Amino acid sequence: MFCTSALSPLQLPSRMETHLWYVLPNEVKSQSLLSQYVDLLSPLEKDHVFSMRGEELQKSALLARALVRTTIARYQIHSRVSPRSLVFRKNAHGKPEVIWEQSDDWHPPPLHFNLSHTSSLIACGVTVGSPIGIDVEEKQRTMKSNILSFAKRYFSCEEVEVLSAISDPEVQRHEFIKLWTLKEAYVKALGTGFSGAPFNTFTIRFGVANPNPEDSAIVIVPLEKPTNLTTNWQFAQVQLAGSHYAAICRQNDGLPGGASMKVIVRKTIPLVEEHCVPSIVPVDD
Amino acid sequence: MGGTPVPHVEQFTKHSKSFDRTYKPFPLYNIPHTLPALRPPLYLCSNPFSLSDLISSSLSHSSMASVAGSSTLMASIACRKPNQASNFNAVSLSIKGRSFPSLKSGSAPSRFRVSCAAKPETVDKVCSIVRKQLALPEDSAVTGESKFASLGADSLDTVEIVMGLEEEFGISVEEESAQTIATVQDAADLIEKLISKN
Repeated sequence: MFCTSALSPLQLPSRMETHLWYVLPNEVKSQSLLSQYVDLLSPLEKDHVFSMRGEELQKSALLARALVRTTIARYQIHSRVSPRSLVFRKNAHGKPEVIWEQSDDWHPPPLHFNLSHTSSLIACGVTVGSPIGIDVEEKQRTMKSNILSFAKRYFSCEEVEVLSAISDPEVQRHEFIKLWTLKEAYVKALGTGFSGAPFNTFTIRFGVANPNPEDSAIVIVPLEKPTNLTTNWQFAQVQLAGSHYAAICRQNDGLPGGASMKVIVRKTIPLVEEHCVPSIVPVDD
Repeated sequence: MGGTPVPHVEQFTKHSKSFDRTYKPFPLYNIPHTLPALRPPLYLCSNPFSLSDLISSSLSHSSMASVAGSSTLMASIACRKPNQASNFNAVSLSIKGRSFPSLKSGSAPSRFRVSCAAKPETVDKVCSIVRKQLALPEDSAVTGESKFASLGADSLDTVEIVMGLEEEFGISVEEESAQTIATVQDAADLIEKLISKN
């Protein structure tokens, strides 16, 4: 049995931290738990969940909404915020955000979130004071297209060179996926949509290799001059559940270049449990 | 349901009455293909923002194509279709002597997206590329109305599909256009538009 009463509150991330939550759909099997998740959703969200084709996709869509609602609600100290009461909208470019109830006696924290999911893992990143973008992909994901053809079409020349220089196809595929998630995370953090920052208008460049891989800075290099693209962003790459690459992008609050992002990773089953997992930088297998 | 031209309307309005007016049915699939027969009140008299809201509600908000997060590919509200707006110029839209200012040529940005249906062969080819990308069984129902996100396409799938369409049809799809594709029909229509420009 699980407790369905008040969700235990969470400490907001500090301005230096990023919280990353993830749920594995395979671990959520209880039909009554899934029904509880459905009860948390807005009518719009329910329609969307049930418009997905097949139970697996519906479950994944449902978990994504349950994850974001329960997580954000837990960060609120104000009792008026419950997972069900949260109201979401999309900004002018379609990026989801929370609409906070404004009142004289309560000011919502500048909390930002971003979701990403694959069929086998759903993740939600949370920050305070900085927009955030995240993207997750399965490590074992195969491409239907040829990787270099795809990269030549969508990535920058420098990135194509980096990928072309990798002779082992598996390593190349892993590096491609990591690069994709980093680019996606950046564009999602910007919040202006795919056309606001086409992938071939910027390079994701990895800093000078140094002994500690966590400290190698990842930087954005815009390729057009003038550019609308901002570069004061920092990145983290995390491996989740041994099976997924996750990229996180948030603003670089004047931290010294190369300072690594502090990411607190928690695996969860909404309404049931959670535990911290160590933040693991992806290692080439 | 019999005979009603917009079966989805019932499903959505049932849920959305008290809520977000942006979540309305998708008339894109029900716009008559012959423009002069357009039923004006639904699309012309109503709030001019409603169709852009409709389109945005069909966009996924996760990664590029899936909904729950924030989409890059699908996320922006794409209603800028000046080429298609010009189709209206040829049509007399004055009803009972009133004309609709939002449709005069060039006077306002078009908020409509008119689907002049692509050829069935094009739709079928798109369906086949989508099925292959998403590894869907041959007998799975994929039609013009199928939304990529609902079929399980994530951001990378959608971009791969777009690239597959470029290769299959010999076209080039810019990001602004790619971002507007939510369904198989959208893709097919865009393909034909791009082919006709070549």
